[in-house]
Amino acid sequence: MKLKKYLTLTRAGIIESLQFRLSMLVMVAGNLLYLIVIYFLWKAIYASADSDVVNGMTFSDTLIYLVLATALFNFMEMYTVWQVGRDIQSGKIVLDLVKPMDYRRYIFWSFSGAFVTNFFCTFLPTFIVVAIVTNGAIHMGLNLLYFAVSVVLAIMVNFSIDFIVATICLYTESIWGINMMKQVIVLLLSGATVPLAFFPDTLRNVVDHLPFQAIYNAPLTLLLDGDPDMKDVCITLGTQLAWCVGMFIVSKLFWKHSIKQITVNGG
Amino acid sequence: MSSIIEIRNVTKEFKVLNRREGLKGSIKDLFSRDYKTVTAVNNISMSIEQGEIVGYLGPNGAGKSTTIKMMTGVLEPTSGEILVDGNVPYKNRSKNAQNIGVVFGQRSQLWWALPLIESFRLLKDVYQIGDKQYDSIIELYKSLVDIEPLLHKPVRQMSLGQRTLSDILAAFLHDPKIVFLDEPTIGLDVSMKAKIRTLINALNKEKNTTVILTTHDMGDVDALCRRIVIIDKGKMLYDNDIEHLKSFFGSYRTLKIRVDGDLKKQSEVIQKEVPDFAVSADDEWISVLVDEDKKKVVDVLSQLQSSYSIKDMKLEEISSEDVIRKIYEEGVE
Repeated sequence: MKLKKYLTLTRAGIIESLQFRLSMLVMVAGNLLYLIVIYFLWKAIYASADSDVVNGMTFSDTLIYLVLATALFNFMEMYTVWQVGRDIQSGKIVLDLVKPMDYRRYIFWSFSGAFVTNFFCTFLPTFIVVAIVTNGAIHMGLNLLYFAVSVVLAIMVNFSIDFIVATICLYTESIWGINMMKQVIVLLLSGATVPLAFFPDTLRNVVDHLPFQAIYNAPLTLLLDGDPDMKDVCITLGTQLAWCVGMFIVSKLFWKHSIKQITVNGG
Repeated sequence: MSSIIEIRNVTKEFKVLNRREGLKGSIKDLFSRDYKTVTAVNNISMSIEQGEIVGYLGPNGAGKSTTIKMMTGVLEPTSGEILVDGNVPYKNRSKNAQNIGVVFGQRSQLWWALPLIESFRLLKDVYQIGDKQYDSIIELYKSLVDIEPLLHKPVRQMSLGQRTLSDILAAFLHDPKIVFLDEPTIGLDVSMKAKIRTLINALNKEKNTTVILTTHDMGDVDALCRRIVIIDKGKMLYDNDIEHLKSFFGSYRTLKIRVDGDLKKQSEVIQKEVPDFAVSADDEWISVLVDEDKKKVVDVLSQLQSSYSIKDMKLEEISSEDVIRKIYEEGVE
């Protein structure tokens, strides 16, 4: 069966990530720290505001959004750029290129195992805690389904963007700067660090026409909007799907073009 | 028998940016379009039969790895034609991948954190190996090497020798028609080298797998290869069987001695003493390249010992670098 070829990579990824218990603990602790910082930062922002509602969001709206955005980040971030960049530098990429599998798919499925573990170890617990603590602030209905679909699309958009950036590493042969830049741009413009509602109108307008908002803003909006309009849901998911296909094609073509110029290190 | 690998007039050129020195130069480089062309492989042709073990030799930077990368489909040749089992590798990379196995001595394709058996299972699915075929090859492995203790050990806890052994087994797992071994014995101790040579020989016999071996170790070549191809600076220097090459270097030994005084000056004096042989000096040793057809090493040594007080001596078999240098300097015939 064809799918088995890929699922076996998922399986290995799960086993592999479970080998590093300590790193998982450290990750959870680091998150906790980050969330505490967010809490006090936004508390200060709201304290200095005139009203309880800023840009249509209350303090608890904002906090729920940001906590879930962080959880989503931990779950979706694949560090593709690091991995591919390192493989390019060390020359190990050759060994992956001679696998009977498209390299892009090979990388995606190799990371998919980490998705599964991260979903159960970071996203799900955070989600449950938030749902219990806020006591009903998250609507439990059809929106969960929209959210699930949206997250799958978000993962694909995110991967395509990562893969494009990783391809740039073929030319630059350095990773750090490029990866940092990508991280900052994606996290800011996708609404992962600051909700898009807080952006000034002109910037918001620009951001709405970029692929990044399809990664964090779209799924979180679908989740937190208690009573979404069917039309809005279709527009959000449709836009995501369009970005998903668009970025997929761009990343695929860019890779195909670039791999021809590749000069592999070490020999 | 038809050939499994067919290489015709293959050339590979790289464009390299001309780097300038210093901070100012580095900044200028950011905007530079001043490229130079480096020819890594220059008009090479060869054809390799199914089941052959070919030693692919040459000094560092000769273009060996580049040739292998073209055969595996990672690099596209600038000109010329490569056929691997009827496929053009860079056009059908995935299809070609099913036919080949690769081991790079310094890198591992195994999953670092997982026990070896998990890597094997993964490769089984990735290469879509049937259960029966998989079981039979594992049985074969068990009969050839003591694999049982390795199977359940995470790869990161293995010694370099164990890891290399595992990597070789992994490369043969899907019963490829060709296996490329790039310096498989680098950094290994003598007994591990012997083990690996035996294993490669056995797998080649059992499966009739074509093996292309690059190495700097003439021991590997002696133990494994019947045919040798030598390239240097991208050009093919030699393509013939090993006996022919042996007549070339077989009777040469390098005698290294250490004497008092300035080695450079001493070596010039010694050169006059033994005018038939090349004498050179480095920081530690004076080397005399002795042709044993002309004079036995022992005789040379006793001759030198009568006139110098020799502190230390050692005898070295000629290395592949020396062979290549000799061929390069003197030509093949």
